[in-house]
Amino acid sequence: MSNKHLFLIPGFIRTPLQNGVGRYVGQLQRVVLKFCKNNGSSRGMREFIESGLVNFANENPGVVVYLKPRRHRTAVIKAEYLNGDSQWINCRNFTQEEVLKWLILLKSQSKNATGTRIKKLWHTDHPSIQGPWTPYTFRDPELNLVEFPNDILSKPAIMERSSQDELIELFNNKKIEELESKRAE
Amino acid sequence: MSVLKRVQQWATFARIWHVYDAAWQNPFQSAELLKKYLMGMYKPIYHPSNDCGDHVIVINSAEIALPGDEWKKRVYFHHTGYPGGATWTLAWDLHSKDPTMVPAVYNSMDGNLKRRYTMERLHIFPDSNVPKDLMANVSNQIRQIRPMPKRLDHYPEQQVKEFPKVIDYPKDYVVR
Repeated sequence: MSNKHLFLIPGFIRTPLQNGVGRYVGQLQRVVLKFCKNNGSSRGMREFIESGLVNFANENPGVVVYLKPRRHRTAVIKAEYLNGDSQWINCRNFTQEEVLKWLILLKSQSKNATGTRIKKLWHTDHPSIQGPWTPYTFRDPELNLVEFPNDILSKPAIMERSSQDELIELFNNKKIEELESKRAE
Repeated sequence: MSVLKRVQQWATFARIWHVYDAAWQNPFQSAELLKKYLMGMYKPIYHPSNDCGDHVIVINSAEIALPGDEWKKRVYFHHTGYPGGATWTLAWDLHSKDPTMVPAVYNSMDGNLKRRYTMERLHIFPDSNVPKDLMANVSNQIRQIRPMPKRLDHYPEQQVKEFPKVIDYPKDYVVR
């Protein structure tokens, strides 16, 4: 019924209480790392906990880190901010570097900003130099000369290699090998 | 609006005609694909209240391929509004009577208030015979989802003979 899911929520960039002008207070309050004890999709999370987690906790004394090992659930980071916002990041099949990167991002945020379109404080009468989008902007100019309907353009874009194609290639390679061995003789 | 801005407006909101070959394609998957073009969802200027849908011409709709048992089991319901006016038509029956009828696109837009007039922009033809003035408008071809297999008798004879064989029938084998 509603189309709200199609659009981002517009908002200006704001910091709580002029954070950073005088002192800087990290806005991330707590972080819960939930992971499965033996499922393969939590492997990266488990590796991060073994190697990089203690460093992260020591470097950020203002953030409380909780660990929640639970079985048969995907790895998840749940972050809560000082303004009460919470953010949930699915870490299925992440590497330990990816987990660290997301934690560093969360540390630098002051609220959950997913789905926000940043409104600008500037205005311009000429928002586009090259011209606004038209349906012909990113079109291949070869399409101008094509007669429709076209068989080649109709074919699917991604064609997986079938086993038949591989067999033909093997056969052709074998033929070439035989020819070369004959010539060598 | 100045002349230049009027032309820019005309260019950005231009309605494009696409053509799609439905032969050997799954109509339900195709419907999801065509829906995007009919509603204008692929355009960066899209907005639900902005009438930016494109026209789509579908050809070879008589050769669509429904998956699995759908031909036998999919049933389309229609009620005339009068008492006793409920009919249940099977997909094969409906298609044999009218090969341009596959309610897949209509049903994929269920819940969308703009469905009725978006569907008016979809032109379906059972084969490749499209009126010339419609075909002249077309400026884009939408790629198919499934590859179309080629019949053995459509291949050139030379290629069939030269094709690598793993094994061959014995000479006295009777091929039924």
